[in-house]
Amino acid sequence: MKQALTIAHLYPREMNIYGDLGNVIALQRRLEWRGITPRVVHVEAGEPVDWEAVDVVFGGGGQDSGQLVVGQDLLRHGSALRQMAEDGVPMLVICGTYQLFGHGFTTVEGQEIPGIGVFDMRTVGGTVRMIGNMVVETEAYGQLVGFENHSGQTILAARQAPLGTVIKGAGNNPHSRQEGAQRGMAIGTYLHGPVLPKNSQLADALLGAALRRRYGVTELEPLDDALERAAARVAASRPR
Amino acid sequence: MLVSITVVICKMAAFLTRRLMRGGGQALPGLLADYLDPHLAGKLAAQLPQGVILVTGTNGKTTTTKVLVGSLEAAGETVITNSTGSNLKRGVTSALLGAASWRGKLRGTMAAMEVDEASLRRVTKDIQPRLIVVLNLFRDQLDRYGELDTTAALIGEGIAQTSADVLLNADDPLVASLATYAQDGANVQYFGIEGMESGQTAIATATDTDRCPRCHERLTFSRTFYGHIGHYHCVHDGYKRPHPDVAITSTSEMGLHGSRFEVSILGKRQSLQFALAGVYNLYNALAVVGALAMVTGSVQSAVKVLAETEAAFGRVERIKYRDRTLCLLLIKNPAGFTQVVQTFLAGRPRLAVLVIINDLDADGRDVSWLWDVPLEVLRPDEPRVFVSGIRAADMAVRFKYAGIPAEGVVDVPVGVESLIAASHPGDEVYILPTYTAMTKTRNMLSKLTRIKPIS
Repeated sequence: MKQALTIAHLYPREMNIYGDLGNVIALQRRLEWRGITPRVVHVEAGEPVDWEAVDVVFGGGGQDSGQLVVGQDLLRHGSALRQMAEDGVPMLVICGTYQLFGHGFTTVEGQEIPGIGVFDMRTVGGTVRMIGNMVVETEAYGQLVGFENHSGQTILAARQAPLGTVIKGAGNNPHSRQEGAQRGMAIGTYLHGPVLPKNSQLADALLGAALRRRYGVTELEPLDDALERAAARVAASRPR
Repeated sequence: MLVSITVVICKMAAFLTRRLMRGGGQALPGLLADYLDPHLAGKLAAQLPQGVILVTGTNGKTTTTKVLVGSLEAAGETVITNSTGSNLKRGVTSALLGAASWRGKLRGTMAAMEVDEASLRRVTKDIQPRLIVVLNLFRDQLDRYGELDTTAALIGEGIAQTSADVLLNADDPLVASLATYAQDGANVQYFGIEGMESGQTAIATATDTDRCPRCHERLTFSRTFYGHIGHYHCVHDGYKRPHPDVAITSTSEMGLHGSRFEVSILGKRQSLQFALAGVYNLYNALAVVGALAMVTGSVQSAVKVLAETEAAFGRVERIKYRDRTLCLLLIKNPAGFTQVVQTFLAGRPRLAVLVIINDLDADGRDVSWLWDVPLEVLRPDEPRVFVSGIRAADMAVRFKYAGIPAEGVVDVPVGVESLIAASHPGDEVYILPTYTAMTKTRNMLSKLTRIKPIS
């Protein structure tokens, strides 16, 4: 029987900013190119979700107004998503959704949006916008490139591992030189770009983990990623 | 400082920059004037007997302003405008300075200017307009302003500090909500599309904003014409699309070379024809006739201008070259690129296109928006797609993931030759550059054909 993986796209209508949909497109195509069927389910506010059937979780960035609605609804799924992260389910959450995967987000007006605590971190809204090309060095995935655009400053707890170290850009906040957070195969980041098409090794790490969990597959069929690597090289060479 | 002295200094600066820099430097006199006397533009504009119209919004400012100016001139006005697309405060000041005599007297009866969304409040702090037109709010180079709600609030601030009348797009929820910023006594009117032949509406795309501007719950759309533009209401707090004062009641033709449609305005029906293609241009036409009706009480002068207008700088330009028609279309944001895909590229079995992506400041440094364009709808049997520009590789990756192979070309001349080789005599081929790539492309094409270079 043909293999299939299910990608849960969190709140695609609210959290769809800066081309983050491109990450879902990248996961879908990279499965199809290997003869595996991608299924995408949309997690919508108020709708039930069968988390058992989900192999990869994705959530993108959004405007503040969307984040309020999403933050409210996401709490319903908090314990399920924390358990999945603990069990090694691959997840990629970006910017606005990343912030909600921490303990909470305090907006610049002082409003408190509680998060679901997948990552041990907090985010505080700021008045300075961190905008520009970003390059991050990671242990597991090598160099990652993208574009950050946020005013929230994220502070990781001491025991929370970052995704990587900032080479160019701000990352979690202007002071720590840390970018993103990682717990098992759950990854949070401020990298737009979108991040997965240009950093195909990260896309394959997520898909590899999902295939291992669902089908016990240990080898991922290699693809020709020359174009993706060229785009990453150009992106890394652009000024901040 | 005395108006006349400031004018003399700034006009000398303008003269010198023109001589020394050979073109360009249009904004410099305005920058200098705003520094010497921040109220100079206001003092100059106050001389205009028929007042000032300001046009803002993400897409269509240049086109709408250009057609509006043409229509006002056809109605007998002498109109000052910032036609070069310099739409920040200094550009507005520069345009007024350019129309001022050395003694500071304005040659003109009125002004119609396009104004950048974030600059509106700076302009209206100084100039008291009689009418502000807001076209639409789409994501555009978000790295400049942050978020769409912020942009809307900036425009609102610009409206709130004047007693100007306001003309708003009824079909854009965020734009329509700006009515709350208008001062008491200001005349607020709306334009929108009431009816359109089915099958002529755009296919669904990722929407920019489908949230209620009041309660942030999701809006319900009974129709969408493109992006988030359509007929909407909020089931949670009752916010709904206002009834448009100026409306398209039906469309009879929507082709590559323009549209024919019926407009209901001032209690009458008017048949109009607009030479620019696409649903988004229907809204630009509505904004023009709506503004004309509010300012002159008649739309007659627009009829001929709309029918005969040519695309504003770079929007849709057709150039004959070696038995092909090169269609030059500026792409600057997902909404615009999506419209180009739907209007020109979709459904062509043989597709020859050159896309040139730069990421300089004027283009927007973030190229992630390429992924918000539904290139997946293109299913050409014979795709011949070429990419160039600083971020050519990003564009190639985007095409790859849409199932379309793209070939990199080193520069525009090679790209144009590739398009010729990939097409047949009589074909239309497409060149889609971002903003800074457009200037280079046009200058290069001017060497091959008879189009004017951009100074």
